[in-house]
Amino acid sequence: MKFVISRDALLKPLNLVAGVVERRHTLPILSNVMLVLEGNQLSITGTDLEVELVGRVALEQMPAAGGEITVPARKLADICKSLPDGSDIEFTVADDRVTVRAGRSRFSLSAIAAADFPNVEQSPGSQQFVVKQGDLKRLIDRTSFAMAQQDVRYYLNGMLWEVNAGHLRMVATDGHRLAMCTLEAPIDAAEQMQVILPRKGVIELSRLLINEDQEVEVVIGSNHIRATTADFTFTSKLVDGKFPDYDRVLPKQSTKAIFGSRDDLRQAFSRTAILSNEKYRGVRLLLSDGSLKIIANNPEQEEAEEIVNVDYAGEALEIGFNVSYLLDVLAVLSGDTVKLSLSDANSSALLEESEQGDSRYVVMPMRL
Amino acid sequence: MGKLYGFVFYLGGVYCFYIQLIAFKMLNSATETSLRKIIHCDCDCFFAAIEMRDDPLLRGRPMAVGGSSDKRGVISTCNYEARAYGVHSAMATAHAKKLCPDLLVVPHNMAKYRLAAQQIRDIFYDYTDAVEPVSLDEAYLDVSASSACQGSATLIAKEIMARVHAEVGITLSAGVAGNKFLAKIGSDWNKPNGLCVILPQQVADFVVELPVAKINGVGKVTAEKLQRLGVQRCGDLQAYTVFELVELFGAFGQRLYKLCRGEDDRPVKVSRQRKSLSVEHTYPEDKDSLSQCLQQLPALFAQLNQRLEGLEGSYLVTKQFVKFKFSDFQTTTVECVVAGSIRLSVYHDLFQQAFERGAGLGVRLLGLGVRFQVSHDSYGEQLPLFPYDLTLHG
Repeated sequence: MKFVISRDALLKPLNLVAGVVERRHTLPILSNVMLVLEGNQLSITGTDLEVELVGRVALEQMPAAGGEITVPARKLADICKSLPDGSDIEFTVADDRVTVRAGRSRFSLSAIAAADFPNVEQSPGSQQFVVKQGDLKRLIDRTSFAMAQQDVRYYLNGMLWEVNAGHLRMVATDGHRLAMCTLEAPIDAAEQMQVILPRKGVIELSRLLINEDQEVEVVIGSNHIRATTADFTFTSKLVDGKFPDYDRVLPKQSTKAIFGSRDDLRQAFSRTAILSNEKYRGVRLLLSDGSLKIIANNPEQEEAEEIVNVDYAGEALEIGFNVSYLLDVLAVLSGDTVKLSLSDANSSALLEESEQGDSRYVVMPMRL
Repeated sequence: MGKLYGFVFYLGGVYCFYIQLIAFKMLNSATETSLRKIIHCDCDCFFAAIEMRDDPLLRGRPMAVGGSSDKRGVISTCNYEARAYGVHSAMATAHAKKLCPDLLVVPHNMAKYRLAAQQIRDIFYDYTDAVEPVSLDEAYLDVSASSACQGSATLIAKEIMARVHAEVGITLSAGVAGNKFLAKIGSDWNKPNGLCVILPQQVADFVVELPVAKINGVGKVTAEKLQRLGVQRCGDLQAYTVFELVELFGAFGQRLYKLCRGEDDRPVKVSRQRKSLSVEHTYPEDKDSLSQCLQQLPALFAQLNQRLEGLEGSYLVTKQFVKFKFSDFQTTTVECVVAGSIRLSVYHDLFQQAFERGAGLGVRLLGLGVRFQVSHDSYGEQLPLFPYDLTLHG
């Protein structure tokens, strides 16, 4: 196997695929990427056995023969990255070595036969749909921040995808706050399907969705999901667990509706956050007619206070929140106005762009 | 080990030292984890037990805590009488009533459950600081370093069960083992009000017979896959190499490989917020004068400071206090508000005041302590989004 590829064509897919590969693993071959050459198409595959990513790139010069081999992912990516722009890179495979040459540089990498490279197990797909990459990315970007990390409730360390006829919904929660976004899309579904994507899969998938206007095909099986674009095929295992019933925690009868400028609120919260407790991040919100006062204290007895004009008339309320949770939401919302719905100091808050928006965010308060 | 060192000497100086360091660390952590004593405590049908405790009419009949059937409610917890009908948590209340028409469903009273959970947690803290609450009604305790009950984890577990029954009025089940995985299985083994101790020498025989479905993280899909492979017990699973398991189950395969051998080195993660810290000493002979008491002060002060350093400044001291136990076994505490770091002169004054309270009695015990800013005031408590689910999946 021998071929030449321009550095610039190789770098993008190689970096994305190498991103899936774990630095340390029980199986040495999992630190490698697999290079498969068929005709003038080179595919690069990386896997951690949960998530598999295949990148495809066409060679300008037709190689003499096809073949397959695996090489250390990180090292290859680092080498390609540090070669000068516009270089042509030549790969030569001989025995258990891969030689990489560009200009006057030469690297000899240890290789493992591709036959030993594991496949992520495939199950028959039972749901398929096609959407714009930009739409799918928007769903992920609007919700992924709320996923749990290393929670004992392992089903929270991921994202719920709910497929219904005509719409796709994503929900993420860490048990303190919840993010949900819904896309109207031409989806045929006889019945509702709910699956949980692992956290890593969600993050890797979002990185691939670079061509907003191009399509991505999604196939969901009983224990895996696959997304295919022109340049990549992404496969991830699904989390085996039951996601909590998110509908039960969406506040439905909030008594107080507050409208405010998203930017004013975001800036006021980020400033007060400076003097909130670094670990617990609590801020107090004092709501009264027409204004919202935000107060933060830290263990050093320092204090921050902000007053923001809001559109509200009704009874006063004092309620505490983890300011990071509010800031996370305000950062992903767009539009000038944000709607905040509250009831009392112990009930959850609902944040939305407006009632017509496609996203809803629920944040539980802190008892301060 | 010999082999590794042989290899190490072959390498250069600095690198060699580095590898020795790693080898030493590995050895160290191995001994640390192999000697652990973990208790997993799990209240028996917690919400239902609290309701039955407070209302005798709920006892001896099928009952559950949950949302009402006309509002699409779900059962959070049900008692054992209801379980006999097939009712279980996370079931729609309407469905539960079909299975058991006599089922009485009472609404949640989270404030009450939270109070009981706090009482139970306070009992845990009497035995160890290393308490990891998993949910309101469930916690892991690492009692490896505990001196209570002559250091016997089994006796500690028995005492906790008895105290929770006497002081809170409900029962809990406990599992005692060398790691979290086995302790959790133990607490479920003889439920309700049961204790199961898995001694290190019993682990190998115990896991061989253990059904794989008991492993936390083996859900419906994984269990079905194992079933297809003909794997029902951990013993069957032990026949697979780590590579095969990783191929079959991805990253979870590595964990399965260890779990089916009864190995689990996850530490008990401590999340406690301390309210106070103190040191005390009982003397073989009573101290009859203030000056004799003051003689002990520097040693106690140094000890307290050392304990405070262990907390690495994560707490704010609001009060200093002293505790005296007199020859008639009466105890008195004198405290005063301070800010910043603790001062010896403050304890000096407090000793004087405390000694005077004894009106001439000898002192058998001296204690020094500090109180911290209570977290509720300063930091706040994050409320959960799914308070009921914590018990559903516990």
